[in-house]
Amino acid sequence: MASATSRPLEYLEGLPGTTFYKLYQQPSTALAIFRRMLPDLAKCFVMALLYLKDPLPTADLEVWVNAESKKERDNALSILGRLHILSTTLTGENVRAYMVTNPFAASLRQALMGAEDSHSFGVFSQAPEQTPTSIADLDEYARRQWEGVMGYMVGTSALMSGQRDTVNLSKGVKQLLQAGHLVEIRGNRVDITKDGFGFVLQDVNTQVWHILILYVESAEAIGMDSVEVLSFLFLLSSLELGSSYDKSHMTPNQLRTLADLADFGIVYQEDADATRFYPTRLATTLTSDSSALSNPVTGSLTGPVGPSGGSSSGFIIIETNYRLYAYTSSPLQISLISLFTNLKYRFPNLVTGKITRQSVRRAIEMGITADQIISYLLSHAHPQLRKHSAAQSNGKGVPASVLPPTVTDQIRLWQLERDRLRATAGFLFKDFTSLTEYQAPCQYAAEIGVLVWKSDRKRMFFVTRHEQVAAFLRSQKVGGK
Amino acid sequence: MNSVDASEHYELGATDLSPSLLTIVIDTNPHAWAALEDSLPLSKAIANILVFINAHLACNYANEVAVVASHSQKAAWLYPSHDDPRKRTADRDGDVVMNGASDTPAPETNKYRPFRIVEEQVTRNLKELMDSTTGDDLRGNMSTMLAGALTLALSHTNRRTLAWAEEHGGANAEDAAADGNGGGGGTSTNRYSASNEDERLQSRILVVSVSGSTDAAHQYIPVMNSIFACQRLSIPIDVCKLSGDAVFLQQASDATKGVYMALAEPRGLLQYLMMAFLPDQRSRRHLVLPTRVDVDFRAACFCHRRVVDVGFVCSICLSIFCEPPPGGDCMTCGTHLDIGDNAKPALLPRKKKKKKRVNGASGTGTPMSTPTPGP
Repeated sequence: MASATSRPLEYLEGLPGTTFYKLYQQPSTALAIFRRMLPDLAKCFVMALLYLKDPLPTADLEVWVNAESKKERDNALSILGRLHILSTTLTGENVRAYMVTNPFAASLRQALMGAEDSHSFGVFSQAPEQTPTSIADLDEYARRQWEGVMGYMVGTSALMSGQRDTVNLSKGVKQLLQAGHLVEIRGNRVDITKDGFGFVLQDVNTQVWHILILYVESAEAIGMDSVEVLSFLFLLSSLELGSSYDKSHMTPNQLRTLADLADFGIVYQEDADATRFYPTRLATTLTSDSSALSNPVTGSLTGPVGPSGGSSSGFIIIETNYRLYAYTSSPLQISLISLFTNLKYRFPNLVTGKITRQSVRRAIEMGITADQIISYLLSHAHPQLRKHSAAQSNGKGVPASVLPPTVTDQIRLWQLERDRLRATAGFLFKDFTSLTEYQAPCQYAAEIGVLVWKSDRKRMFFVTRHEQVAAFLRSQKVGGK
Repeated sequence: MNSVDASEHYELGATDLSPSLLTIVIDTNPHAWAALEDSLPLSKAIANILVFINAHLACNYANEVAVVASHSQKAAWLYPSHDDPRKRTADRDGDVVMNGASDTPAPETNKYRPFRIVEEQVTRNLKELMDSTTGDDLRGNMSTMLAGALTLALSHTNRRTLAWAEEHGGANAEDAAADGNGGGGGTSTNRYSASNEDERLQSRILVVSVSGSTDAAHQYIPVMNSIFACQRLSIPIDVCKLSGDAVFLQQASDATKGVYMALAEPRGLLQYLMMAFLPDQRSRRHLVLPTRVDVDFRAACFCHRRVVDVGFVCSICLSIFCEPPPGGDCMTCGTHLDIGDNAKPALLPRKKKKKKRVNGASGTGTPMSTPTPGP
């Protein structure tokens, strides 16, 4: 889940505070951010504080949380702070206290209790439908479009033309992929980039978010307000699959976004002038965690695998001897697997191959990381593998991993052979006068999870994010005086 | 640089957080709510509970909710409705209402749709339930069908757990299937074992209670059985006590490690719900939650359903009696018990005697749990 949440979270964190203010005006946005971006404990905090009249003193909150869970608490509070959901104020008795910031609190309350005339959750289309669109149709449409995009990137459409009707991608889609450095267009040829390889191996939910963030980023360039686009995306995520929504309430920018998203299969409309649109599963599961999404969508997204694997989500079996069996006939999936596997045989519904040092090194040279390979294998693991691991974990305390540990470890080792340095952008804190002065912020940084490296001897530590550590240092100074 | 020697093992476990199922048992005993009318009328309480349900649903896309009403003469589902959809559109004579409008109510879009569905169903079913309650039902009936409601909640939880495990693959489904076939008690512990705690559907039961327990003493045995079932399946029973005094519910939350709160100020129901009852099992590990220390462990006797402090216990089946059973024969298992002739013995000696008997019985392999005789 970490990879799936982190990207939208990172993007949101980068936004200025005023953007948040505008974003949180919409109940649907507040709900979507609450549901999707926050860890469990943070959700508890928000809900507990939501209906409190007075801010909750920090000491009270600390008492509420177990002493052993300090790390989780600080992490939750730090995320809430970064998303501008929780702020600290001083109460009458000069006590520091937490409260939920206002546009967010009001919107979330509105989402929970209902409100007058906000139309925040879409307007159903009232007009009778001549040709009702079923959920299966929507899934098929979403799958076709999304696989079309993937196929365009990997180049399967050229490779295996004639296999199926190729999807005509609009110019906007191609430009977006290029702008996001997922593909490079040289003349007539489309070359996938390192980022692109990473992208195609992610699970669908992460991919959709990746694309949407790219879209929001590029929206400014073509003259759209990124806040408006973003809140529209969150609105989409709260719509219901299988019903149609009215377009007449929408702003021109929203209509434009809608047309662009239709190219990706995120929404469906019969044609550009239709009065209604349908959200597909790609849209409605945006704010769910990946497990809720993976079964229905990846199941259908793995392609027309036929009756053998039609219902199951995973199709890859990997053995401890590095042999890989994939029950699929989708050209896209086969070409993805062939990125890091030496394929040996191909049968109508099965390809087999072996993961070798050469094949993994080849993949890594193309810019694919071991983590990406492993997470791809994991998210497409066959139910048999899962069943096996769950059976193993019964009785023992530690759950067994789904993939054979020898294989995952070896893939990482093969990567480490090449890749011995890793760069992390961040901030170095140094020149502390005393050990105690060094220890407190260092410990704090470790607790909120931003510490990357430290040296007690040199009294230095390195963090990925400095704002909160700086605030901590300031508060310490104030406290000391 | 530690990562280079790769001494650490990489584990990519299933980090997806499983959703949670919250089953709310609302005590709708009209007598008790009438007493609460001044501070917190039922309509207001329901509104608060609905917001709480929405908050629960908001926490996770896949979170589920179920609502059971424990009414004075029956326990009924409020959400999800299990009744026949045709029955709803038919009016009292059995005719289907044909005005057309009822089929397509104007869709309201100011509310997130899942929230609205729950809200509509709960209010409609509750209204139906209230309308179907006649004065005759209430006369002389002060209690609430807590046992039935708890059993409904439990069976729903069980069904959803199985269905969820099936959907999400893994060994859970296999266990569940084996369970279904063999019906063995032994395998069922696997399904709920601690090792895969995070991977199964997290379920809990919240009882919003208003009735006193002395009225419910006649349900002692079924209530205790549901409590033990919850304990075994590690489903916490949270109790939110608005009025009255519930002996058995204290035991319920104590035995299942749930939250017990008697609200001093019923008007603040929503805040209590949000703060103490919203966190699911995963979050509860990190939080300090209100529990009751002085749990009332009193039991109800099997003969008159009285709540007793000190009573007689059958040495064979551990049934509890408030006075020596007639003829010295245990009413549950029929064993002839040798009770001394002393009609009113001092408390202490009798206790000693009782203890001796119990110890003797346990040597013969009596099951440790409370027996389950029919009332």
